[in-house]
Amino acid sequence: MAHQAHAYHMVDPSPWPLTGAIAALLMTSGLAIWFHFHSTVLMTLGLILLLLTMYQWWRDIIREGTFQGHHTPPVQKGLRYGMILFITSEVFFFLGFFWAFYHSSLAPTPELGGCWPPTGITPLDPFEVPLLNTAVLLASGVTVTWAHHSIMEGERKQAIQSLTLTILLGLYFTALQATEYYEAPFTIADGVYGSTFFVATGFHGLHVIIGSTFLAVCLLRQVQYHFTSEHHFGFEAAAWYWHFVDVVWLFLYVSIYWWGS
Amino acid sequence: MFRHLRTLQQVSRRTLSSSARRQLENKVPVKQKLFQEDSGMPVHLKGGTTDALLYRATMALTVFGCGYVLYALTDAALPKKKD
Repeated sequence: MAHQAHAYHMVDPSPWPLTGAIAALLMTSGLAIWFHFHSTVLMTLGLILLLLTMYQWWRDIIREGTFQGHHTPPVQKGLRYGMILFITSEVFFFLGFFWAFYHSSLAPTPELGGCWPPTGITPLDPFEVPLLNTAVLLASGVTVTWAHHSIMEGERKQAIQSLTLTILLGLYFTALQATEYYEAPFTIADGVYGSTFFVATGFHGLHVIIGSTFLAVCLLRQVQYHFTSEHHFGFEAAAWYWHFVDVVWLFLYVSIYWWGS
Repeated sequence: MFRHLRTLQQVSRRTLSSSARRQLENKVPVKQKLFQEDSGMPVHLKGGTTDALLYRATMALTVFGCGYVLYALTDAALPKKKD
């Protein structure tokens, strides 16, 4: 049996990059077909393929790391760089939407009434549900840190409890934001105020759902003894992503909800 | 009545805790042995039959999707004669 004489991970050939690429093709073409011909078949097929790809690809990474031991220190370092670079790219993604918001709100045009919020828009009170949402996410930042320390100290039950609490807080935020969306006196079609508000907060909400899902996967793995007190990078990556989501909310709250009202 | 409730509480605690202990057994060493077997299988198929089924389903959707998108886009690009 051949053994490698280096600490790096030469991965087995995998079909998931191909299926993922086809899924992207199907979703984008499907979007165009939906807009022009009112059929959602292609787009739905793309979404199913995307979910299958993600499940199997990440399942394989867990097998390679936890079951096959391929995630040596240099490999883990690469994974850390990868996650940091990915989060950085997401920061730039949100920067664009903040740019759009400040572009329109710092110098409101005559069409808006020369003021911000524009004439006719009743903004949400920043000291009601949005403030509660801020508290919920800040608390979840504390609980996820508590979970990390529990894992590092080998406290299995506490890790499970604090991680569960973090996920519940994330779900609570999503539920609160959903009711806010339903009750809001303005819509996405209400000029540039509506566009900037719903696109920025909408993408943030999507990231909360993604982050909560990532944390839920970590919870399942923690229950199944995948994490050790020294090696639990999957959890660390989820925690970094969660802190990023929290920070984006703080910027959204201060800029759009508070200053923007 | 309250004695019955107490008994129910004790029984469910005992049952739940013992079954919970059975379910939450550490299966990582078993998985490690399975995935480190020198079977020559790539990691995406090494788990067994379920892996192969899921892979085949995914690939079938991929191939079908490729064909369908080519058809859909060609059809969308061709001018339609109105009667």
